[in-house]
Amino acid sequence: MTNERPKVEGRPRILGIRPGVNPNSSSLGVDITFLLLGGTGSLALSFLMSAWLRGRKPAVVEVGAPKGEGQE
Amino acid sequence: MKIRAEWFGALLELERPRALVSLNRTLARKLGLSDSPRWRGDDPGRLSAPTEVHLVISRRCSAGCKGCYVSAVPHGPALSLEQAKAAVDQLAAHGIFHMALGGGEALDLEHLFEVADYARSKGILPNLTTSGLGMDEETARRCRVFGQINVSVDGVGEDYRRARGYDGFDRAVRALELLRATRREVGINCVVTRHNFESLGEIVALARRLRLNEVELLRFKPSGRGLEQWRENDLSVEQARALYPRVRWLSVRHRMRLKLDCSFAPMVFFHRPSRAAARFFGVVGCQGGNLLASVLPEGDLTGCSFGGPREASIFEPREVAAAFEGGFQSFRDFARRAPEPCRSCRYLSLCNGGCRVVSKAAGDWWQPDPGCPTVAAHSR
Repeated sequence: MTNERPKVEGRPRILGIRPGVNPNSSSLGVDITFLLLGGTGSLALSFLMSAWLRGRKPAVVEVGAPKGEGQE
Repeated sequence: MKIRAEWFGALLELERPRALVSLNRTLARKLGLSDSPRWRGDDPGRLSAPTEVHLVISRRCSAGCKGCYVSAVPHGPALSLEQAKAAVDQLAAHGIFHMALGGGEALDLEHLFEVADYARSKGILPNLTTSGLGMDEETARRCRVFGQINVSVDGVGEDYRRARGYDGFDRAVRALELLRATRREVGINCVVTRHNFESLGEIVALARRLRLNEVELLRFKPSGRGLEQWRENDLSVEQARALYPRVRWLSVRHRMRLKLDCSFAPMVFFHRPSRAAARFFGVVGCQGGNLLASVLPEGDLTGCSFGGPREASIFEPREVAAAFEGGFQSFRDFARRAPEPCRSCRYLSLCNGGCRVVSKAAGDWWQPDPGCPTVAAHSR
């Protein structure tokens, strides 16, 4: 979600997590609680979440597909 | 689960726990997403569309808060039910995940719940901010349609009256109690000013006592009636420096989830948090036209509820698509043309120079946010 260049191919990866939802007129900038986890916490969460998703393989519905492709 | 293709792979919406997860292309394929046209070419440096949109459903409110950022009045303009549904249709077509309903007092609109139901039916999660002044048991029960609901409480007791210009604290607390009796996702919104900065602990303690799930701390915005009040409410340089350590301590002390809005990002990055963690957890500054956009009661699509030019009419699909594709330059272009000290700041790609609306109120949209402690030190 930022200008940093992520690893888009290769090993399956979680690139980021934006926790919660925002009911406000301004966007959510900082979730203090999660930021407290630091770099190590984010790395651990990335591995755990990736493994959980691959194991669970949830049914997904594509939204906002480019016109004429995907499904709504 | 909903998934939306992006240049890097995809965004996946989790419902429990609520989160938006960025996946790379490999993982997106493993979850069943076909290769997307968005995966061709270079990084566009933006999302295909915002993840959340603030629907300013009206400028109608009888509370008369002296710092209201939309200058709401009792008979202010509002989106009709048909207009609001048309806006939802447009946003759903672009795969927006969340909608924040607010503006004036959204609960004053008779068709609010119909709009929220409609958003749900189109796959968009509606969330709500309210003053809570008119909340009763029946309304609280109907509020189950929303995801997160936050009630505005800018101070405890007398501090509330001082901030808002009237005594509504007891009614706001009553609203929180009624909502909490029906659901878990209830929180407090608190606008942080130089006057209530020292009392933030009381707000967090209140949220803890009422068993709420979060407190969101918002910066006082110089827009609407707030423009005239801004300089006397904006944080001092010392308070801006102290904000992040203080909020971090309050979060641990009260075991409460605390959030800061996008305009407070410079006050956080001043303390040099882990860039990896910040990037991973989406800790960012101004996201006008990228993560966030707004729809105003006149139907205008803008990058931010507090300022910025009209990019499109939400009722014109081609204009909306063009805006998401190549518009919002007054927000998206800051990092490219950032002056010092932003230009050499390691956090520029995350912070994006702080709040453009604050910069404009201080004299120039394109100048760095004057409330940033680093910018303040540089200016001296």
